[in-house]
Amino acid sequence: MSDRIGAGEVVEVRLDSERPSSPDGAVATQHRPPRTYPYRQPFTWWLRRRGYLLYMIRELTAVPIAVWMVLFLIEIARLRQGAGGYQPLASPAFVVVSLICLVFALWHTFTFLNLAGLIMRIPLGDRNLPARTIVRGAFVAFVVATAVVAGLIIWGGA
Amino acid sequence: MAETRAAAKTIKVSVARFDPARDKKPRLDSYEVPLNDDWVVLDALNWIKSNADGSVSYRWSCRMGICGSCGMNVNGQPKLGCSAFLRDYAPGPVVVQPLNNFPIIRDLVIDMSSFMEKLQWVKPWIIRDPTALGPGEHRQTNAQIDQFRQFSMCINCMLCYSACPVIAVEPSFVGPAAIALARRYDLDSRDHAGSERLRTLTGSDAIWDCSFIGECSAVCPKDVDPAKAIQQTKFETTMGMLLPWGGR
Repeated sequence: MSDRIGAGEVVEVRLDSERPSSPDGAVATQHRPPRTYPYRQPFTWWLRRRGYLLYMIRELTAVPIAVWMVLFLIEIARLRQGAGGYQPLASPAFVVVSLICLVFALWHTFTFLNLAGLIMRIPLGDRNLPARTIVRGAFVAFVVATAVVAGLIIWGGA
Repeated sequence: MAETRAAAKTIKVSVARFDPARDKKPRLDSYEVPLNDDWVVLDALNWIKSNADGSVSYRWSCRMGICGSCGMNVNGQPKLGCSAFLRDYAPGPVVVQPLNNFPIIRDLVIDMSSFMEKLQWVKPWIIRDPTALGPGEHRQTNAQIDQFRQFSMCINCMLCYSACPVIAVEPSFVGPAAIALARRYDLDSRDHAGSERLRTLTGSDAIWDCSFIGECSAVCPKDVDPAKAIQQTKFETTMGMLLPWGGR
C-alpha cells in the first residue's frame, strides 16, 4: 500500500465522537446494540432431560412429606388435652399414604446422604477426606440415629 | 481429507436461522450433509456454509474442544459442535439450535455479554495481599494444585448456562461456570481474596439461587463440576456462620 505509515510517523487519530454529525446533530456512527431474539423457557422444560425430570420428582415428593408432617404435628398438639386427646389417624387409606410418604422420605435421605461426599470438603493435612468415606460415615450416622430414635419410641415409653 | 472422500450416505441437518433484520422469530432450515464417519456437527456446519448456504452464522475456532466457541444445542442437548459426532445421530435428523438461556443475535450466534459481565463479577484472577509479595517463586505442592485443578479446566463454553433452568427464570443468577471459577481461585493457596470473593458469592443472585439440579455438571465437556463448587461454597458458608471456627 502506498499510504503505509512509516516508522516513527505521528498519525492524527480521530475518535468516533469527533466524526462529522448528521444535520440533526446525531453522531453518524453511533453504536446501536443488535436486535436480539430473547430466549423463553417452555413450560415443558423439565421433560427435556432425565436429570430435570428426576429433579422435579425429588422436589415434588417433598410436598406429601410436608403434609404428613403437618398432620403429625396436629396429632401431637392434641396431647395437650391429655392422653384421651391423642387419636392418631389409623384408617387403611392413611396407612397407605404414610407408607408412600415413608418411601419418599427414604428416597430423599438416600439422595441427600449420597451427595454428602460432593458437598463436604474436609481437609486432612494437604489432602481431603475421600468423598466415599464421608458418604459411608453419613449413612452409618443415619442408621445409628434411626436405631436410637426407634429404640426410644418402642422401648422408651414402656 | 474427509471433504474429498465421497460420502455414500447423507444425513439431514436442520439449522436454526434468525436474521434480526428480516425474521420475527427463528426457523429451521434443513440441509442434506455427507455423513462421513469422522465428521462432527461443526464439520457439517462448515460444509453447509461452503456448499449450500454461505449466510449460516455460528462461532467456532479450535475444532478440538479447547476454545469453547462452538457451544450449541444438538437435538436439544448442549454440546460442543466440534465434539458431537454426526454418526451418533444417524440416521438423523440432527437439529442444531443456539444455546438456551441467551438472546440470539443471528442463527446460532448468541449474545454472551451477560456471561462476560458475570465472569468479571467473581474476580477470576489471583488476588494477593500486597504485603505478602516477596522475591522468588510462589511454589505450590501437587496436593495444593489438586485442590483446584478440576475447576481450572473450564473453557467458558457456556454449556452449563444453557443447561441451567434457574438462569431462565433468574437471568441475573451468576451461574455455574462463574462460580466454579470463583471456587478455583478460592481454593488456590496463592490467593488471598477469599472473604472478598465470598461476599460476592453469598450475596444476591449467587450461590443461594442454585436449587441443585446438577445438569450443569452433567453437560460439562471438560468434566468440571460446577454444581459441586456451588454446593461446597454453600456448605462452607453455612459452617462459617454456625461454627466459631468455621470462618476463614
